Amino acid sequence: MSRRSFKASLTIYWWLLLFFLYLPLAVVVLFSFNSINSAATFESFSLRWYRELFSDSQVLSALSNSLILAISSSVIALLFGSLIGYGLYRHRHRKLGWLIILIYLPIVMPDIVFGIADMTFFVRLNSLTGWLSPGLDTMVLSHVTFEIPFVALIVYSRFVGLDATLFDAAKDLYASPLKRTLHFIIPAIKPALISAFFLSFTLSIDDFVISFFTAGPQSSTLPIYIWGAVKKGITPEINAVGALMIGAVIVAAVISLLVTHRRPRQDS
Amino acid sequence: MSQSSFTISQRRLQLRETLHLLWTTAPGALWIIIFLVLPSLYLVSMAFMTNGTYGQPGMPLTLDSFRQLAGFGFLGWSPGNIYTLLRSLWQTLVATGLVVILSYPLAYYITTCRVSLRPIMLLAVVLPSWTNQVIRAFGWMNLLAPETPLSNFAQWMGWIPPHLGLFPSNFAVTIGLVYNFLPFMILPLYSAFEKLDVHLVEAARDLYASPVKAFWTAVFPQTLPGLLAGVVLVAVPAFGMYVVPELLGGGRSTMIGNLVATQFTGASNWPYGAAGALLMLVATLVGIFLLRRLGKRVGGGEEVVI
Repeated sequence: MSRRSFKASLTIYWWLLLFFLYLPLAVVVLFSFNSINSAATFESFSLRWYRELFSDSQVLSALSNSLILAISSSVIALLFGSLIGYGLYRHRHRKLGWLIILIYLPIVMPDIVFGIADMTFFVRLNSLTGWLSPGLDTMVLSHVTFEIPFVALIVYSRFVGLDATLFDAAKDLYASPLKRTLHFIIPAIKPALISAFFLSFTLSIDDFVISFFTAGPQSSTLPIYIWGAVKKGITPEINAVGALMIGAVIVAAVISLLVTHRRPRQDS
Repeated sequence: MSQSSFTISQRRLQLRETLHLLWTTAPGALWIIIFLVLPSLYLVSMAFMTNGTYGQPGMPLTLDSFRQLAGFGFLGWSPGNIYTLLRSLWQTLVATGLVVILSYPLAYYITTCRVSLRPIMLLAVVLPSWTNQVIRAFGWMNLLAPETPLSNFAQWMGWIPPHLGLFPSNFAVTIGLVYNFLPFMILPLYSAFEKLDVHLVEAARDLYASPVKAFWTAVFPQTLPGLLAGVVLVAVPAFGMYVVPELLGGGRSTMIGNLVATQFTGASNWPYGAAGALLMLVATLVGIFLLRRLGKRVGGGEEVVI
């Protein structure tokens, strides 16, 4: 096979794989506009399922739960995670093996074990002390736990990328640690803080398994709602929720692409 | 005199540094300890408890749940759980293998394209995995259901009996797993290909190595660290997968994650489920440990980036 035909067949392969990757998503979006309740035949274009969706109070409360959970857990995780990231950087010459293992634990732990461990723990705690009945509170606690490591790693790698002599200069220029933090450290790691917040937000919105096990009867999030609807039987309304969530991801991706493409020009 | 004051101030500095380390890392570390380590220890201890009336664990300590996990029930021994475990291992192995085969040419192809195009291509590959996994599985349910073009084609080819769909089945689970984890392999493989020393490949070709031989001697060893990182990222979460087998598999294609979850959702036998969870944890840790050992042996020396 000549080099050119090799490259051409790779190009065909690339498009086939993209087709494979986007086909299930396209099907969800397509059937969300179906006028009849069928997953096999598309009859005609209609916005019927979207109309039903926006009058469904369950969906709306699931959406608001998802947003409350994602925002509050990301804010808490940002605080604790960036502190760890800074600590890891400042003390990187020490042996911090135990801390690294602890940070990687939520990442490598199978979701299902994570969720069940937290569920049994919260149920037991609740029956012993009356604290924390399953609901949004318990979900926030669990979500913060799996978001902290990602925040810590992102902030840590930003610190490593900074010029270490900058810290000495800041030490000389600003008298108090508070001023140093506000005027130097936070502005220096601002991009990392922003991307860490958005990653936490995405992880939280996306999470199903851990939410499913730590949720209470009143605290369904969107993925939990979809799960319940899929399990009960296929309705096109799920296609409409799914299509909206897919759309949100694509918009977010385009924005992140534009931002990362603009950054080099701003720097120079 | 000056000597001792020097050591005192140095000791004070050391103390201050330790305090700094504590107040920066302790809050987050404690959070993880309280909301993950303690619950996990509780779950592990539960595996050795007796199943109470309402599925709640209690005393005395026993190994009953492990016996149950091995397949011993009221009606004697049944191989169901062993099959589930073997199926989980088999699905993990097949899905990881398929992901590797599919990713290699793709990761290479991206490195042959213009530099300005590459971030967009990578984004295009990763984007589907940012959508919710329940929705992605639902998309495949729609695609593989009875009466759909793919199922009709499979019937026409005689692969499945008439009036049935490609889902629910083991096949659908494999597809779901491959679909889920493909980007996790492409990203580390791509960065390995990007760092590839092309001169070695050219040297091999100049010395009349066949393309296949050039691949095995010049390309494969250089991409091995990326491959191993990818295998960790794919195989470990695939083994513990819950959503895909639950939605795409149906009753006959369950994996270990479903077996565990059922004990907490429907069947309510917490100690039995905890024993399964313990097995999953051990398998995960052993898997990571083995792959890291292998990574060091082959001299990649590169840390597995998660």
